[in-house]
Amino acid sequence: MKVTKYVITGQDSDVLPSDIALKIYELGREINIKETCFGVIIDGEEEDIKATVEEIRAMDQSNIFIKDRGFPPGDPRRCRGHRGGGARPGFYMMQYESELLPLISRGLASEARGEEAPPEAASRKRPGSEELEEMIEEEFS
Amino acid sequence: MVKVMVYPPTSMILSDLVERTGHEALVVSKEVRKKVNTPSLESPPLNITPEDPKKGLKYAAVDVPSGVRGRMALLGPMIEEADAAIIILNDRCTLGCTGCARTNELTRFLLRTKRIPILELEYPADEPGARRFVHEIREFLEGLS
Amino acid sequence: MIRIAQLSCGPEYSGVQQELEKAAQMVGAELVFPEVSLDDVRNVEERFGIEVASGDLNLAMARATRIVENPDLADAVFVATCFRCAEGAIVRSELRKYVHENSRIPVLSYSFTERTTAETLLTRMEALVTTAKFKGLLSRERQKGLTAGIDSGSTTTKSVVMRDNQVIGTGWVPTTEVLKSAEAAYNAALESAGVTRSEIEGLGTTGYGRHLVGKEFGARLIQEEITVNSKGAVFLADAQKGAATVIDIGGMDNKAISVQDGIPGTFTMGGICAGASGRFLELTARRLGVDITELGKLALKGDHEKVSMNSYCIVFGTQSLVNSLSAGSSPEDVAMAACHSVAEQVFEQQLQEVEVKEPVIMVGGTALIEGLPRAMEQLLGLKVMVPEYAQYIGCVGASLLVSGLLED
Repeated sequence: MKVTKYVITGQDSDVLPSDIALKIYELGREINIKETCFGVIIDGEEEDIKATVEEIRAMDQSNIFIKDRGFPPGDPRRCRGHRGGGARPGFYMMQYESELLPLISRGLASEARGEEAPPEAASRKRPGSEELEEMIEEEFS
Repeated sequence: MVKVMVYPPTSMILSDLVERTGHEALVVSKEVRKKVNTPSLESPPLNITPEDPKKGLKYAAVDVPSGVRGRMALLGPMIEEADAAIIILNDRCTLGCTGCARTNELTRFLLRTKRIPILELEYPADEPGARRFVHEIREFLEGLS
Repeated sequence: MIRIAQLSCGPEYSGVQQELEKAAQMVGAELVFPEVSLDDVRNVEERFGIEVASGDLNLAMARATRIVENPDLADAVFVATCFRCAEGAIVRSELRKYVHENSRIPVLSYSFTERTTAETLLTRMEALVTTAKFKGLLSRERQKGLTAGIDSGSTTTKSVVMRDNQVIGTGWVPTTEVLKSAEAAYNAALESAGVTRSEIEGLGTTGYGRHLVGKEFGARLIQEEITVNSKGAVFLADAQKGAATVIDIGGMDNKAISVQDGIPGTFTMGGICAGASGRFLELTARRLGVDITELGKLALKGDHEKVSMNSYCIVFGTQSLVNSLSAGSSPEDVAMAACHSVAEQVFEQQLQEVEVKEPVIMVGGTALIEGLPRAMEQLLGLKVMVPEYAQYIGCVGASLLVSGLLED
């Protein structure tokens, strides 16, 4: 079956969408590529895509993220142009998670270097009712 | 290789981390793909037909709104296939397939009561948090094989 | 092409999105999803006033704020959420109010199930598009020339002839075969007006059979009941300036329409629920052994509080009816209880969705059953007006509006 994937390059990546497109051409598999501002959309037979995705990720392990997409690229059923301007709902989720990618990239890079994850900071204790009463009296006296 | 359902089932971050470790991420787009590639269904945009809320009766009663049952027709089979799960607790901007809070609550509930290994955590807010996030997920996934 | 902005949660997952699109297409409109940003969605609490748990509802609210800021984005708004979802129903109601109060864009609200079809939505979509498209036509306040209207209803077919802003002839028959009944009603109206068919300058049709009758009789205007009934009502009640609320309880369905300066705005239309229509009153009259025209006077002598009746479902309503009679309740009390029950269904279902502003005008054949407007008055705590020719509002409205086309 044909599958479609998003290849998203993190902000800190030196890899450009055009670099990814070039790599895919070099690999010579039957894969369609559509460049976008955030990366590329690729589609092709499942095995071809699976193999290709590994090679692309290897270009920049911590800064390239792959997401599965149900619709083939440019499908009018979900295309902005056919919907009166608004993005399809899934787009907002991707946009939201994209904002977290720089942090995730740093997490991945740190893991790759074998660094230990920092411990969680001690959570601040909430004031008890007596402490709170003292604060109120101080404020309003 | 283990089938790991991610919640939200639309999460790019979780599905990517799962697949890096060599497991299969169960994401709703895979169900959507099956639907949209079946032209005979003819029910744009997702080819979900009025039959799907009926299939959803397996997970929710008839007096539960149709949108819940229709979404469960997509998510239910994924939940059934899952051998493990990762759940984000502070999900936001969940729209479309994850745009219904009742469906999302039901999904989390069904996963938790399935007695499969589950990792529950929050999206990181800073770098140390992100490092812990990635580490915990990696450890969890490696522990599954 | 009229653009209807869709603000919804769930239709794609209920398998009915295609039906919504089909209904829009059938009335010459298209459904659009105007642009909204991630930040609009994230800040919906600030922009709209609330953020709820379901993302798609937040998206709908965010989109509404965009539309209200840029009214060029859409000509009309359609708000749709799943039937039985409380969160959806609350947001839907607030969205309708928000768009209505903050813009001049007409808005339609609907709760769907997986069984919703384009046909169910058609009348509502038509009314929405009419309001968006024909503001000029709808602002007509006086009937000119010699025109006629035919209202091909589910239970009765009515017709009027009007000249120079006056009703000069009427016709009324039970609906059997649509075209035959239309012919009979029209002929009766022409005869009572003393004019011939060829003298009529324009004909308008409405009701369930409007397309069939309109085509057969060469009507210049074929328009759904929400628009024409509300126009006819405010015309007959002389309430074409300012606010008015029209309650139309028909033989098989019911409608509530908010009118402002003679132009229909928000409206709701009850589904085919027999317990909230004339059907239940017909059944009651039969059971009490009186003619339907006598039921009202009988009811006025009765006290509904003496009989427990709930026609939420006509099956259960019939049961209560039979039980109360067997228990010895008087026919007057039962008649009034039946009227009260129908009024209550409409009050609870439709009148919560529109702003009820005086004058309240009750129309349709059922308005002539005196117990019903009385029951509605009791429920609303407001005076209810039943104009002359209340059962003819559809054909009066059609006749009035078609005269507007003659001036072209």
